[in-house]
Amino acid sequence: MHRIPKWTLAAAGVLTASTALAADELQALREEIAQMKKTYEARIAALENRLKEAEQKAAASPVAAPASGQVGAGSSFNPQISLILDGVYFRDDKQGRSPEMYEHLDGINHSHDHAHGALERGFNLRETELVFSAAVSPHFDAAAMLTVSEHGDVELEEAYFDTRSLPYGLKVRGGKFLSGIGYLNGQHPHQWDFVDQNLPYRTLLGEHGLADTGLRLSWLPPTGNWYTLLGVELLQGKEQTFATSGLSTPTSREDGAPLAGTAAGSLSAQKAGPRLATVFAKFGPDLGANHALQFGGWAAFASQHQEVHDHTLEDPASLVHALEGKAKAWGLDAVYKYDAGGYGGQGSFKLVGEYLRLNKDLKIAFHENGALLGQKRDFTQDGIVLQGTYGLLPHWQAGLRFDATGLTRNEVKGPSGTIAEWNKSDRWTLALTRQIDHFSLFRLQFSRANLWVGGEKEKTNQLFLQYQHSLGAHGAHTF
Amino acid sequence: MKRCWLFWLSLLVALPAWALDVAATTSSMGMLARTVGGPQVKVTELAPPDRDAHMLQAKPSMMRALRDADLVVAVGAELEVGWLPAALSGAANARVLPGRPGYFEAAAQVPLLEAGLAADRAQGDVHPAGNPHVNLDPERMAKIAQALAERFALLDAANAAAYRERAQAFARELASRAPVWRQKAAQAGGLVTHHKDALYLAQFLGVPFLGTLEPVPGVAPTASHIEALAAKLKGRKGLIAHTPYQPPAGAEKLASLTGWPVAVLPIEPPAGSDAAGYFALIDRWADALAQGGR
Repeated sequence: MHRIPKWTLAAAGVLTASTALAADELQALREEIAQMKKTYEARIAALENRLKEAEQKAAASPVAAPASGQVGAGSSFNPQISLILDGVYFRDDKQGRSPEMYEHLDGINHSHDHAHGALERGFNLRETELVFSAAVSPHFDAAAMLTVSEHGDVELEEAYFDTRSLPYGLKVRGGKFLSGIGYLNGQHPHQWDFVDQNLPYRTLLGEHGLADTGLRLSWLPPTGNWYTLLGVELLQGKEQTFATSGLSTPTSREDGAPLAGTAAGSLSAQKAGPRLATVFAKFGPDLGANHALQFGGWAAFASQHQEVHDHTLEDPASLVHALEGKAKAWGLDAVYKYDAGGYGGQGSFKLVGEYLRLNKDLKIAFHENGALLGQKRDFTQDGIVLQGTYGLLPHWQAGLRFDATGLTRNEVKGPSGTIAEWNKSDRWTLALTRQIDHFSLFRLQFSRANLWVGGEKEKTNQLFLQYQHSLGAHGAHTF
Repeated sequence: MKRCWLFWLSLLVALPAWALDVAATTSSMGMLARTVGGPQVKVTELAPPDRDAHMLQAKPSMMRALRDADLVVAVGAELEVGWLPAALSGAANARVLPGRPGYFEAAAQVPLLEAGLAADRAQGDVHPAGNPHVNLDPERMAKIAQALAERFALLDAANAAAYRERAQAFARELASRAPVWRQKAAQAGGLVTHHKDALYLAQFLGVPFLGTLEPVPGVAPTASHIEALAAKLKGRKGLIAHTPYQPPAGAEKLASLTGWPVAVLPIEPPAGSDAAGYFALIDRWADALAQGGR
């Protein structure tokens, strides 16, 4: 006997019952669905109409959301951080020796310092700049700028605070900063119109210009439509080309030979800072929307400067000696900018001219030939840079620069006239810059220089292909 | 005694006739300040109207104007980011620094379109604060004028009523002109501009904004982008507009592909404009858009 499970019977019963039920109610269900469809279609249509109306209303009067109330004030990033990448492809016609020639140009500032990141022929990663800036409080702004070399060496180029709330157009800056002298001195490499530093800055002030630790007071006096800026800086006078101190009196020669028995004298102790003071003034008439002009003048005074000269490695017959005294520098600068209003800077141009002069008024404080002690050594060198850029096409800029160092004077005088005189080194540079967008550029630069190195004239050509990218905050640049 | 008299006379001559010295970044901000401030304010405009206010450079004359100002009226939303912070820093005037009553941003007074976009520069020169070109939207400008009147009132309480009255009169005038502008623009099929600087105006007039010649903000038009845009616009009617400082090539290329007319229209009223100059500017846009519908 087959036993049919009860649950199958029950299931069959339910099934037959439901089919009968379905047959009856199928029609009703269909009708219900049709009814629902109709009502929903009507409701959807009504909703669509309302949406359309709302959209039209929104288009007509968009002021529905609350005001942002957020003051942009430049940027919403806090602190503002930006990173500038910089690389060059480099070639010269001296088998790669030209960067060293630039380091050792004949003149009053013998380059003893490290040749940092000398260029190689081919691809070079230049220093990456990292900039932080923000308001510290209602009373202070602060900024720091670091550079990181290809090998990971970090250098603090600038780290300073600015006051925000002083009255009468006064402002104080403190910390380590680029001096306000000249026009080009305040610019970081990514603001330059050319790949490399100009000759007078490089030879008279140093590769990065004049940057030191101290305080600046600047003042914008009420001079009507004329822009006037007056400034004074008290700086430590540390490791500058014309303000270095704290050197020790030589006790040995670099070539290993003992100091001559006739050696005499000693360098004085380091004076307390500040040992370097600068004053500067800038004037700019209001020439309307298309033109901007600014003239400037500056002077710097170092109350203590010391130098040690030991060339015994190159020339064993030379005598080790040390000099000390005071130094001063001054300069004049002018900038003219024409804004043609063209797209991508087309037709606009900028002309910059600067003259610099450095004088070191020193005495022999130590000499292997002690008889020379106390003799004066008066060094003078000057230089000029003239440069212009022109917007050839939208986002294409052509630049031309002439720079020279030892322009009219490049000499050292002793008690009885000129001891040594060096020749003028000069250079012509042509640059073509393509500004890809706000944040990236490519630059092709060619220069042809007559350099004097060790009394020999060297004609040198250099070729650069540079890229620059800036990431992060949208920086605002000063004039 | 006579000397004393002279002293007072010289003081009178030396005293300025205005209560507030305003530095406005653009000519539309200058127009607002003049319209709301009336004779009680002296207005200096920093950016000329025929230049891109985003691409300007800080100049000594700007610092000079900012040094003397009691109030800075800026568009904001990072429009002036490339030069105003530097000029303000160089001006050493504590009264007009951001956060002080002497610093006013128009874009901060109204809701902004395109706010909160990803701060991704692969998408061009994008500003997450939102599209800053609020000056072409009469409705937003009416609100901004009223906010500006409150700011004037805060700085110069003696003339508060006059500032508020002028702002309201400006708002009423705009409201009465709005239907005329919308009616004119009703025929317009759509609008394409070089940069997204007329987005607010299109929305105000109810004109579909159909694209920009720039593929992404701040990047020059490319042929492939214009061809793609032309394909998208096929069968539609509208107007291509660019400002006098933007290059005409992209607009001409799109015009040749679509047959749409091209209009060269400023987005700022002339320098030194009053409200009438602003109304004339919106008139020009509405008329040009009406042309683009035929």
